[in-house]
Amino acid sequence: MRKEMLTGNAAAAWGVRLAEVDYIPVYPITPQTEIIETLARWISDGVMDSKYVTMDSEHSMLTAAGSASATGARAFTATSSQGLLYGFEMLYAVAGWRVPLVMANVSRGLSSPITLEPDHNDVLAARDTGFLQIHCETCQEVLDSILMAYRLVEDERVLLPIIVNLDGFYLSFTREPVEVPDVEQVRNFLPLYQPKHAFFKASQPMAQSAAVLGGLGYSYFKYQMHMASQNALAVYKEVCEEFETGFGRNYDTIEGYMLDDADYVLVMTNSFSTLGKAAVNNARESGIKAGLLRLRLVRPFPVADLKAAITGKMAVAVIDQNISIGKGGILHSEIASCLYNEKHRPLLLSFIAGLGGKNISPDEFEFIINKTVTGADTEDAGTAQLIYTDKEWQEMERLKRMAGKG
Amino acid sequence: MQREVYRLKMYKLRFHGRGGQGARVASKVLGTAAFLDGYYAQDFPLYGAERRGAPVAASARISEEPIMERGVIAEPDIVIVMDETLLQDPLTKPVLGIKQGGIVLINTAHSPEEAKVEYKITAQVLTLDITKIGLDMLGMPILSTLAGGVAARIVGLSEDSLTDAVKKVLSEIITDKRLLDKNVAAALYCFNAITPAKIELELKTTDAIKKKSSKVISVPFEPATVSSPAINATGNTPLRMTGNWRVFRPVWNYDSCTRCMICVARCPDGCILVNEDGFPYTDYDNCKGCLICVEECPTNSLGKVREVHV
Repeated sequence: MRKEMLTGNAAAAWGVRLAEVDYIPVYPITPQTEIIETLARWISDGVMDSKYVTMDSEHSMLTAAGSASATGARAFTATSSQGLLYGFEMLYAVAGWRVPLVMANVSRGLSSPITLEPDHNDVLAARDTGFLQIHCETCQEVLDSILMAYRLVEDERVLLPIIVNLDGFYLSFTREPVEVPDVEQVRNFLPLYQPKHAFFKASQPMAQSAAVLGGLGYSYFKYQMHMASQNALAVYKEVCEEFETGFGRNYDTIEGYMLDDADYVLVMTNSFSTLGKAAVNNARESGIKAGLLRLRLVRPFPVADLKAAITGKMAVAVIDQNISIGKGGILHSEIASCLYNEKHRPLLLSFIAGLGGKNISPDEFEFIINKTVTGADTEDAGTAQLIYTDKEWQEMERLKRMAGKG
Repeated sequence: MQREVYRLKMYKLRFHGRGGQGARVASKVLGTAAFLDGYYAQDFPLYGAERRGAPVAASARISEEPIMERGVIAEPDIVIVMDETLLQDPLTKPVLGIKQGGIVLINTAHSPEEAKVEYKITAQVLTLDITKIGLDMLGMPILSTLAGGVAARIVGLSEDSLTDAVKKVLSEIITDKRLLDKNVAAALYCFNAITPAKIELELKTTDAIKKKSSKVISVPFEPATVSSPAINATGNTPLRMTGNWRVFRPVWNYDSCTRCMICVARCPDGCILVNEDGFPYTDYDNCKGCLICVEECPTNSLGKVREVHV
């Protein structure tokens, strides 16, 4: 074990190296490319023994990665944003093959207008595909989650692909201290992948992904995927416990920060949660009993853990770093559906913030927390609110003038 | 370690340079040195378009406690300006948000007093001609480890950690052992070339900051004629002069020039024009100083002179 300064991308690459992955098909995209560049360098230097193939698109890349996984190889790939969307057809296809592929997605806002900075419309667009999803807050968590991901999805009760998500820039290019475990330590936790259902032998041909008509077969296969994903909740707990035993770090499905005695709860995901935790500290200093719940496992959705953590609270503010155009915050809807039948459900407020990597300042968090407290007092959740300041509006006005918009 | 310098629990720094100058690597050197000295550290770049010469900012946070911040540093304690011309760039604004009593170190041949007046900086100013040190000690104007060395001194890190950090960070990007050693020497030279001022932040400024604090608003609807991301204004690229990026200026000797026009053909930016007498000359407003013309001239009629902004 050693500790060093690593970017989120380098931490992801270390996870792949330590998992002793067999096959890595790649296609570059900012802000992901550093992951595949790092792996390419290690393979070229001879410190990593994997087959590395540059593909012509994300569609081909996902096809290759899923196919390799279906032959019994341990496979990895990585993408971001537009790349994820370009390969989208194959997300559903590969998940249907029931193969334990691990893919890193480095979140970046979707075009149009084009940007490079993060929000979660890319990864959340994949929420219905069958891929499980782990969302990370720190660079350490990225490395650890790659290891946990293989262990989780290679379990026979699961056998579905998984996305490990990290924010572009805020994690991908940000260096912070990361503990890199020894490979022997990782081997104890993550044994060789030896699938019974997926294998390739030239002497024994098999067909993958049969055609089904009439709906009877289709319904069966799809619902089996759903149940496998639900199984992953219990398997995740086992993996989490073993990981903690081996490495000393705990990553439950959700992370609570000052949550137990909190009256008011912020719900966040990914790297901006760090800013939310600082806001919770500030609120506590001014006497408001605030806490934060970070959703880590997004698929399968940890309904029971979530309910246990927030029923009985006065009010919960879901801060969505995404927007479902025409509906609002995606996670707000998902959490609302979990709580609808609860007798002691908290007031649920919706905020949209950090789109395209827009900073959420302490002032903006203060606004969210004040609105949450007032909401609880008046029993009025109000409507969804975009977090956007007067100063930002002034800057936008200036930019519009520059662009010839009167 | 100069512990007395390290008065704050957390230092926030921004490096401002141009693509290729080494701002990102400077932030890595600083982050690694701080990490080796036992601090919590975080470092990251902010790129726009990834091309040589474009303004690049990189940042670092160094703290005695776990860092509960991420992303842009709006109010830095320390700013390292690696390219002086950025101070006049209307979009980059390197000293924006610098705290009263914070430190701005400028890579310039100016004295601190001159620079303070010239660039109207209210914070404390330190100056060092880092480009000259880079040219003298490395033979090239790549300033990553040098700027890292300066920053390490200002925040009070140790020489040993700086040395190890330069070795660690550079060994990931270059294999030339001699160049690496030269970088260690240059970083240490810069480390010892400045006398760090104490950061004298007025900690009572909270009231002033509160007054200026931003308010969350409800964004109004605007029709698509305004709210679609189309740009109706005509292009303004010609207004954006690229000539201030130069480290070296190409200069002409018409006594030996044969008017062969090879330089005109080779200039990648179309910055070499021809005068009434048929001699080529440089459009210095836009020439980026790549010096391909100097390399290509068959009669050695082109030389180079360092640009010094004094």
